[in-house]
Amino acid sequence: MLGAVTDVRSDALLPARAQRSVHRGGLGAPTPPSVLDVLEPLLPEVRKPAQYVGGEHNMVTRDWAAADVRWLLCYPDTYEVGQPNQGIQILYEILNGRATTLAERSYAPWLDLEERMRERGIPTFSLEHHLPLWAFDVFAVTLPHELGHTNLLNLLDLGGVPHRSALRDEADPIVLVGGHAAFNPEPLAPFIDAAVMGDGEEVVLEIDDVVRAAKRDGLTRAELLRALADVEGVYVPALYEPRYTDDGRLSRTVPVATGLPTLVPKRTVQDLEEWPYPQRQIVPMTETVHERFSVEIFRGCTRGCRFCQAGMITRPVRERRPETVQRLVEQGVADTGFEEVGLLSLSSADHSAIGPIARALGDTYEGTVTSLSLPSTRVDAFNVTLSNELTRNGRRSGLTFAPEAGSERMRAVINKMVSEEDLLRTAQVAYSQGWRHIKLYFMVGLPTETDEDVAAIAELGIAVYRIARTHGKANKVTLSVGGFVPKPHTPFQWAAQDTPEELQRKLALIRQLIRTHDGIKLRTNDPEEGVIEGLLARGDRRVAAAVERAWQLGARFDGWHEVPTLDLWRRAMDETGVELAWYSQRERDEDEVLPWDHLDSGLEKGWLWEDWQDARTAVQLDDCRWSPCYDCGVCPGLDLVHDTGYQPGALLPVMPSAPAGLGGPAAGSLPTSAERYAAGSTRGVTR
Amino acid sequence: MSVRYRVRWSKEGRTRFVSARDQSSIWERAIRRADLPIAYSEGFTPHARVSFPDALPVGVASTGEYAELTFAAPIRADDDLARLSATLPEGMDILTYTEVPAGAPKLASLLRATLWELVWPPVDTTALTTLLGRRCATMLAATSHEVVRHRHDGDRTLDVRPAVVSLAVATGPTPDGAGARTTLRAVLRNDAPTIRPADLLVALCDGEVASPALVRRVAQGVPTADGLVEALGGELEMVRTDVVVEAA
Ligand code: B12
Ligand code: SF4
Repeated sequence: MLGAVTDVRSDALLPARAQRSVHRGGLGAPTPPSVLDVLEPLLPEVRKPAQYVGGEHNMVTRDWAAADVRWLLCYPDTYEVGQPNQGIQILYEILNGRATTLAERSYAPWLDLEERMRERGIPTFSLEHHLPLWAFDVFAVTLPHELGHTNLLNLLDLGGVPHRSALRDEADPIVLVGGHAAFNPEPLAPFIDAAVMGDGEEVVLEIDDVVRAAKRDGLTRAELLRALADVEGVYVPALYEPRYTDDGRLSRTVPVATGLPTLVPKRTVQDLEEWPYPQRQIVPMTETVHERFSVEIFRGCTRGCRFCQAGMITRPVRERRPETVQRLVEQGVADTGFEEVGLLSLSSADHSAIGPIARALGDTYEGTVTSLSLPSTRVDAFNVTLSNELTRNGRRSGLTFAPEAGSERMRAVINKMVSEEDLLRTAQVAYSQGWRHIKLYFMVGLPTETDEDVAAIAELGIAVYRIARTHGKANKVTLSVGGFVPKPHTPFQWAAQDTPEELQRKLALIRQLIRTHDGIKLRTNDPEEGVIEGLLARGDRRVAAAVERAWQLGARFDGWHEVPTLDLWRRAMDETGVELAWYSQRERDEDEVLPWDHLDSGLEKGWLWEDWQDARTAVQLDDCRWSPCYDCGVCPGLDLVHDTGYQPGALLPVMPSAPAGLGGPAAGSLPTSAERYAAGSTRGVTR
Repeated sequence: MSVRYRVRWSKEGRTRFVSARDQSSIWERAIRRADLPIAYSEGFTPHARVSFPDALPVGVASTGEYAELTFAAPIRADDDLARLSATLPEGMDILTYTEVPAGAPKLASLLRATLWELVWPPVDTTALTTLLGRRCATMLAATSHEVVRHRHDGDRTLDVRPAVVSLAVATGPTPDGAGARTTLRAVLRNDAPTIRPADLLVALCDGEVASPALVRRVAQGVPTADGLVEALGGELEMVRTDVVVEAA
């Protein structure tokens, strides 16, 4: 064929290891080859090509030669899912804020592009300058959950970097992980060089310093890893060794070098006000799943839902001041042009000044096309009021609440303090104020669950639907039901996970009970989906063999329905002798050593165990933001006063310990924590 | 008092992979960053009143994109549109603009034909230029030329010839000056049935010639014998850049 370029494989992009080091030099090092020219011709053939080109507003481009430490930050999923993540954007801005540090971003190529990249020898690349992974000093990957593990291996391999850390040398980047799933990195231990637990703002700068010094002083890889292990919060798996008892249980994970902590602490940023990032947020040129200017209004959560890993490991609560939130939003909207603002956190309605924050933003953007959103699933009338405030301009279509369990008893077990009466009252308020659709989140497969508890989900849905109908024939209810996956560092870390068959049976029970109600929609996740997540969440270092094998068999994008990988995983588990039932479907006892016991999330194991015992007897705990401290272990090590409003002590009135929503006063007059606070003080709020 | 402007803009470099769908939000956000008083549609999900006459296939470069913007208040076009151009992603630039008087004909009616440019990689250049040149001459000499367009919803036979106004093939230097490459330029009518460069290539040399390295929509406007008159600026864009093969 005339005009055809025949030599499609370009060896220049994946040069021999000996030729790579030159690009890894300090200031003035030559820029590695860009993959863009070879990539571009492939793009018209693949799905959503704009995800691979970068070039977004607020992208930072710094010359390779102008930096002496170079990071490639990665969310190991597609751009459309990963780009909105705030963690990566924070680290990007902080690292690029340094004079001689460069940070670029990368995401996982979809299968269609990966196939073509492998054919042509195109390595994992950055979006800024389309530079190959192998040339960077640090490959920093965020793991918000477990379903990116095979993608991580794949990105390394595709990027010309040996996927096992033992096979890497000075010519390879340091592979660093962080994010929530890094709180149990054991199933990834042979593949990563280091894991960071907790907040990344300060620690990345310390790591940057260590890498810079190592390059300057010509440290070997082993010396660099040892130096990284001295940074507080950095865990280097190769320097720790799990020991097992004869019956295959873990006996301890111990440091194998001197001077290492036996308990690796997590990092906690004490004052979010000092880290007002990300400010210059990336504006994607192609559709993503979460397009908005996001401001994290607080970090942490004290509600203490026993199933919730995020809530447990991000303690304590640290709030951003209302005036800072207002400033970040105003500057951010003007800078990015986003038409939507998201007030982000784990439970945004719980900010102690959320009322004034919402009102001030509502005033600022009233009559404009800028809309505000608050990801809150709190079940109370105050949440409806807040949502009303935020939708002054727009349509009241749907509200989401998360009672998480159907029966009062089950909610006591998981410590979700919502009464049925309260939920129904909230539904009543919402539908009467013009909301037309309520979505309710539930889980099945929770510890101690009986069929009655499961049936109660359907009954609650039906009760809400009856209320919906009295306010409009077209009003709807959606029940969204997922299978519970026990996670490390939570009171449920000892619990057994239901098998997919059992979850299937429970979902069928719900489906059967609501079948006569057309206006109730049931949305379920495939129960099989939790299998891999469960194995990886609580797996130990031996599970790594299954991760590697599953990836070799072709597993990637484990969280995607379009890519069914469970059969590959089952085969991988068979071949590597990893027994799913032992890892996932077994209840652990108090003495069992857990694979993450040497990693300190701040919560004492003894406290978690007691809470687990309380769970089984359905004893509830109040939110520790408003009630006396339970000594969960998080706060004492920090310079934080035990209450956690954004100005400790000075503004926070002492709260009565009755949390919102345990029966009591009627809706509307229900004193929620935030309202109580707001009534006490409006100082410092821009109005 | 609303005012309307028409702009000609480019979609080059990385931005040529942006889909028509994504293009609207890119413009809306850039307009908000430039703080221009764009008008909004009514309703619960108001949209900025920016319209694009037609979609460009993903991957195709262009210096011939157009848009119509309606502002709710007068703007200082020179400054304001320059600011907008500067805040659009790199590769998207506003090239010219005109204010639209009341009662002006629809933008689409001014865009009667398109000048396309197809550039091959610097491979087999002489043979390629000769082959394409011959085929172009044959096509121009004929009165009809049918091709089959394969679509997921079935095959369709199209006559390409009526859309073809003029064709020109040339050999030009590569950007780095190190080699030579073949360029095909074509003025095609926009009237239905729309013929795209891909259809033209099937008609000229199906299976014999590799895909071009780059396809560009150079400009749109009113066709003339040897090119077209660009819709907003009125300058003449010649189909020929060299004298290898030519006819009209
Ligand atoms: C926005 C959001 C989304 C968005 C955007 C994608 C994303 N993950 O960001 C969308 C809607 C796509 C999404 C989807 C999902 N999400 Co989500 N999401 C969030 C949310 C609300 C904010 C994420 C965020 O930006 N956080 C703020 C930043 C600052 O925190 P961070 O990312 O943890 O980063 C900090 C540190 O962890 C650390 N760090 C992070 N990475 C790294 C890496 C290195 C090297 C270092 C040194 C440090 C470091 O530094 C950062 C600054 O301190 C969080 C809840 C929350 N508030 O965190 C849930 C959350 C992360 N999502 C969660 C889940 C379950 C999902 C889904 C699986 C839901 C589903 N069933 O489909 C999908 C998965 C999507 C996918 N395939 O990846 C869970 C994770 C659960 C867990 N760990 O047990 C969370 C915690 C919500 C929750 N309460 O359960 N999500
Ligand atoms: S409210 Fe409960 S589920 Fe939500 S983040 Fe806090 S602890 Fe987790």
